[in-house]
Amino acid sequence: MPLVKRNIDPRHLCHTALPRGIKNELECVTNISLANIIRQLSSLSKYAEDIFGELFNEAHSFSFRVNSLQERVDRLSVSVTQLDPKEEELSLQDITMRKAFRSSTIQDQQLFDRKTLPIPLQETYDICEQPPPLNILTPYRDDGKEGLKFYTNPSYFFDLWKEKMLQDTEDKRKEKRKQKQKNLDRPHEPEKVPRAPHDRRREWQKLAQGPELAEDDANLLHKHIEVANGPASHFESRSQAYVDHMDGSYSLSALPYSQMSELLNRAEERVLVRPHEPPPPPPMHGAGEVKPVPPCVSSTTGLVENRPQSPATGRTPVFVSPTPPPPPPPPLPSALSTSSLRAAMTSTPPPPVPPPPPPPTAALQAPAVPPPPAPLQIAPGVLHPAPPPIAPPIAQPSPPVTRAAQVCEAVPVHAVPPQAEVQGLPPPPPPPPLPPPGIRPSSPVTVAALSHPPPVLHPPPTTIVPAPHAPLMPPSPPSQVIPAPEPKRHPSTLPVISDARSVLLEAIRKGIQLRKVEEQREQEAKHERIENDVATILSRRIAVEYSDSEDDSEFDEVDWLE
Amino acid sequence: MSVQEDPVQREIHQDWANREYIEVITSSIKKIADFLNSFDMSCRSRLATLNEKLTALERRIEYIEARVSSGARAG
Repeated sequence: MPLVKRNIDPRHLCHTALPRGIKNELECVTNISLANIIRQLSSLSKYAEDIFGELFNEAHSFSFRVNSLQERVDRLSVSVTQLDPKEEELSLQDITMRKAFRSSTIQDQQLFDRKTLPIPLQETYDICEQPPPLNILTPYRDDGKEGLKFYTNPSYFFDLWKEKMLQDTEDKRKEKRKQKQKNLDRPHEPEKVPRAPHDRRREWQKLAQGPELAEDDANLLHKHIEVANGPASHFESRSQAYVDHMDGSYSLSALPYSQMSELLNRAEERVLVRPHEPPPPPPMHGAGEVKPVPPCVSSTTGLVENRPQSPATGRTPVFVSPTPPPPPPPPLPSALSTSSLRAAMTSTPPPPVPPPPPPPTAALQAPAVPPPPAPLQIAPGVLHPAPPPIAPPIAQPSPPVTRAAQVCEAVPVHAVPPQAEVQGLPPPPPPPPLPPPGIRPSSPVTVAALSHPPPVLHPPPTTIVPAPHAPLMPPSPPSQVIPAPEPKRHPSTLPVISDARSVLLEAIRKGIQLRKVEEQREQEAKHERIENDVATILSRRIAVEYSDSEDDSEFDEVDWLE
Repeated sequence: MSVQEDPVQREIHQDWANREYIEVITSSIKKIADFLNSFDMSCRSRLATLNEKLTALERRIEYIEARVSSGARAG
């Protein structure tokens, strides 16, 4: 239904009650009608004045713009005539060092704000009944919010969106920082790569001896390529970790041969290193494609068949477009899961504890539970037998529980030596948004079970405080949530570390409180700086998400200056 | 009888005349209102076109200024 902008006031000319005691009623009606006509004319003139006023304002602003444009054109014409014969481009450095041209993209925003309401509509709005005067209670509130905001808040959705965008930018930034750190850590990984190539080269040398067998090399490569392409999703995350070129789900066949061989070598290396894993089969390609691999790889046996396709199954929902686990927007969860998988992939001492993602995306962590443990296998000697079979039962309980369970699983792998517990602390980075209160009770339990009350876990700041108490009695709560092997580990580690742990916990508590205050201050400062500028918020968000990591700081400065 | 009817008739005739007069006035008010609305719409559309052209011109000028000024810097 269209909203009427201007209404001529006396709508009905003669729909009025006639006063009593009048003899000539017809005349009376006529006079009343004429009077109403005059009133209508007056409101019409008022609205006409309003219409012309709006048009005039717009045209006036255009006149300013046209004048400034005229001046600029004049200046330009002068400078162009001066330029041409004299100047020439001097050095290449000048060309490269100059700031790239960026046209000023002014976007229309805040279009339907209260301030942009046209005057006639504002008048119509004023005629309406006012909301109850809850703002008189504002001085008596502790949290400083306006009383009326709890009754009706017109800016509610915009504030919500703004918070979400800012949070997402923070998360993305931290992910990228983590990636940078991993980039720094990556030099360790290539050390493992050289192992496999030697084997292959020896094989090839052996095979190359006989020209009859030369064809088998090509066949082998094809099979490797098939295998690699099959669990394409399976390899994607690894390729992202190992080969920085790839992004998202691309066919491996698009890669140059050198990268292909690298990937294949790593695939083989994984096959070699993964003896104990009881993996589930990948739906993508049956064991048929996997079978050709065993004959190629000498050290592996029937293991390759079992090559867990739990990682593949786990991954396909995450990476391949049909994501069975429903809700959150695909880019977010995939990004988060890739980040979590990248986190899982670091073979360096800091255990690959994935960052605690926001609860909605936590649902995706359930299928991702098998994958992270799989890459853990790469760390020599560190094997995780449990996860894949346990993955399905874990998928059912509440997401944060599963997420925490996954973290628990990931961590205890490294936590077997008690030292790893301390190492486990330098952990997961960023504070995700506050999980709904219903989930809170479960999270401290699982967090406690971790026995590193991740000090950085902000969202449940209050829950972290009770968490330190919980670790002292880990067995009962975690047993419901965490698979069997874990509680056994905890009691074993408990008596050894309990004293150190209490001290540690107190320090952590203080650290949490301190950091909580710091973060709050930071956020408040940021919120003061940030105005309701949709364009900058969105541009920042998009910049963080899609740009290379190094561009972030540039963008931020630019945005702040804007 | 006609003498009795005349004043009533006269009144009714008068009333009809008045109503016709009022009707003429109200129909012209409606015409004015229609004219104002259509004028407003057409003006807005023209101003929007103008706005587009202005924005395009501004961007082109910015670009040209950047090109020209960089040439000036090189010198």
